[in-house]
Parts: sequence; structure tokens; C-alpha cells
Amino acid sequence: MNEFQWPWQYSFPPFFTLQSNADVRKTQLDAWCALVISWGKSNNISQIDVAETSSLPVFKNPAISRALPANSIAVVLDELAKRGNLEWTDKTKRRGYLLWRSPAEWGQQIYTWAQSTSRLNNVCTLYEITQGDDTADQEFHCLDGDVLLKALRTLEVSGKAELMDFGDNQGVKFL
Amino acid sequence: MGHLFSKKTVSKVTEQDKAILQLKTTRDRIRQYQKRSEANLEKDRTLAKQLLQNGKKDRAKLLLRKKRFVEEQLNKTDATLENIEKMIQDLEFAQIEMKVVDSLKVGNESLKHINEMLSIADVESILDETEEAAEKQREISALLSGGVLTEADESAVEEELDALIADAVKKQLPDAPSAAENPEVVLPDVPEALPETEPEKVEKVRAKVAVEAS
Repeated sequence: MNEFQWPWQYSFPPFFTLQSNADVRKTQLDAWCALVISWGKSNNISQIDVAETSSLPVFKNPAISRALPANSIAVVLDELAKRGNLEWTDKTKRRGYLLWRSPAEWGQQIYTWAQSTSRLNNVCTLYEITQGDDTADQEFHCLDGDVLLKALRTLEVSGKAELMDFGDNQGVKFL
Repeated sequence: MGHLFSKKTVSKVTEQDKAILQLKTTRDRIRQYQKRSEANLEKDRTLAKQLLQNGKKDRAKLLLRKKRFVEEQLNKTDATLENIEKMIQDLEFAQIEMKVVDSLKVGNESLKHINEMLSIADVESILDETEEAAEKQREISALLSGGVLTEADESAVEEELDALIADAVKKQLPDAPSAAENPEVVLPDVPEALPETEPEKVEKVRAKVAVEAS
């Protein structure tokens, strides 16, 4: 994986203190959201635990000995949730899915892959999709299981796939 | 009530699909097991090397024995995996075959249906009727074209036309030699009696009738 290119703000100390001016704050939050999303994409992060956020490299830069305080992290995460790039797993807001690509987009990608490999009308296991050797060159390789399920559900809604779940057999049939 | 238009989704997952999924899940498990075992083998090998360097030959031997055992197990799982893959292939192919048979059945059914609609007796009667209709058509056209020239008339017209053309050509040609110059040619005499014509006959009959009436 390519080394993640930190944006210039990351080495800019005031960036780690949320500004009180509304306009400045808005641009700052924009930058923070963009940073978290691109960082998550580059490192293939799909879940964020609020308790761990303070130790995530994205929220602190030891090189300039700056870190985003916990309450500011909460503001950034809330902003991400508002934009649909973060989805809380439950109401307690302890954990969330970092969706740097929407489930519908993932679903489309998976469906395109299924189409190009002639898997329509065929059964696939979830393991096969995210871990199989056939998908090693696909972006959804190693995708988080929960995000995968969300993506497949969007396909199911549009009638392109049907999820199968019985016993401990989990799979999907592409239609 | 009230759900008249709610869509009832019919699952497209068949029992065969479930069987395939189960087989594929098993296949994935075996793959996972293989990956784990391979990682373990690698670890054991480096560990054994280390133990040998440290002079713990017995433990190294034990470890190698374990490694050997795992390797054999791996070979066995390879065979199982092959079996499962084959089974999946067979099942998937059987599903396709089933579809083929189904569509052949539908095709046969509709062909039969069409053949039923077209019986030979029907075809014969239709041909007969067509023949009759054609006959009738000929009669009608014959009746309608009664006043029109027949073929014989046409040839008569042609003859007349030819005669006219010949006449016109003759007028342009020089005069033919006269009988006086060729005394040996004997021409027939002009008949003295006039041929009886019909109008005369009619007149005679009329005269007769007039006499009787007076």
C-alpha cells in the first residue's frame, strides 16, 4: 500500500485546535473530514471506535506534538455522521462505520465484478468475495464484513442479489 | 385487505443453491485451514532452525515431526478440496442442464400447440376452397370481360392492320405489269349474279307480312 500523503494542514499546529470563528471552523471541519476519509481509504479502515480515536495516528501528529482533543474529535465524527460518511453502530455512539465509499457504491462495484466474472445466477460465499483469491485485485478485497452486508443489502433492494443465511452458511446469489 | 398491490417477493434461491452455498462454505473453511496451517508450518520451520542453533536437537526433532504431520494433513485436505470443487461444478452444471431441459420442454409444448392448430384435413379443405375461389374468380372475370376482344378477334385485327400496311406500301411501289403485257395469265371472270344479302331477305319477309295484314 502506498504511504499515505498527509495534507499540509497535518503539520500546521493551529489545525489541531478547533477555531471559534464560524467560517474558519467550517473550512477546518471540511479539511478534517477530508483528511479522515482519505486516511481511512488509504489504510482500509472501516470501523472507528470512539474510545480509541485519541490513539489513531490521524488525530495526532507527534512530529509537531499536537493532538486533537477528545471533544473536538467528537465534533469531527459528528460532522462525518452528518455527511453520511460515518454510521454509528448503535445509539450510544461508541463505534461507527467509516464509510469512505457508500454501501450502494460498494454494491455496484461488487455487482460489476460478479457480472464480469459471469457469476450471475450463481451463489457466492461472503468469504469468497472479501477474502477469495479471485478478488485479490478488487478494491473490496478485505472489506469489512458488516460493510459488505450493507452493500449486498442495497443490491438486494434493487433486485440484483439475494442474501442467503442459514445455519452458519452466509452467502449471496447474484441475479 | 389493503395489501392487494403489495409485492410478494418470491425467493429465487432454490434448494440446490443452498446446497451449493453449503459446499462453498465448507470449501472456504478448508481454504482457511490450509492458509493457517501453511503459516504455522513456516513458523515451525524457523522455530526448529532456532532450536537447532541453540543445541536443542530433541525439541527440534519433535517440532519437525509435528510439521510433517501437518503437512500430511494438508495433502489430505487438498484431496477433499478437489472433491468439493468437483461436487460444486457438478451441481452448477446440473442446474444449467435442468434449465436446458425446461426450455426444451417449453419449446416442444408450443410446437405441439401450433401443430394442433394446423391439421392436415384443415390444410386440404383450405386448399380446396382456394381452388374453388380461384375458379369462381376466373368465371367472374370471363363474364365481365365478355365484351372485350377475344384472342381470335385480336388476330383478325392484326390481319387487317397488316393488310392496310401492305396497301400503303403497294401504293408507293411502281405499277405491276398489266394483263395485256402477259396474255398467258388468265384471270377468273367476275361473277354475274350478286350474292344474296340478308337485308333483301328481311325485306321479302316484311313484304309477305304486309300482304297478309292487308
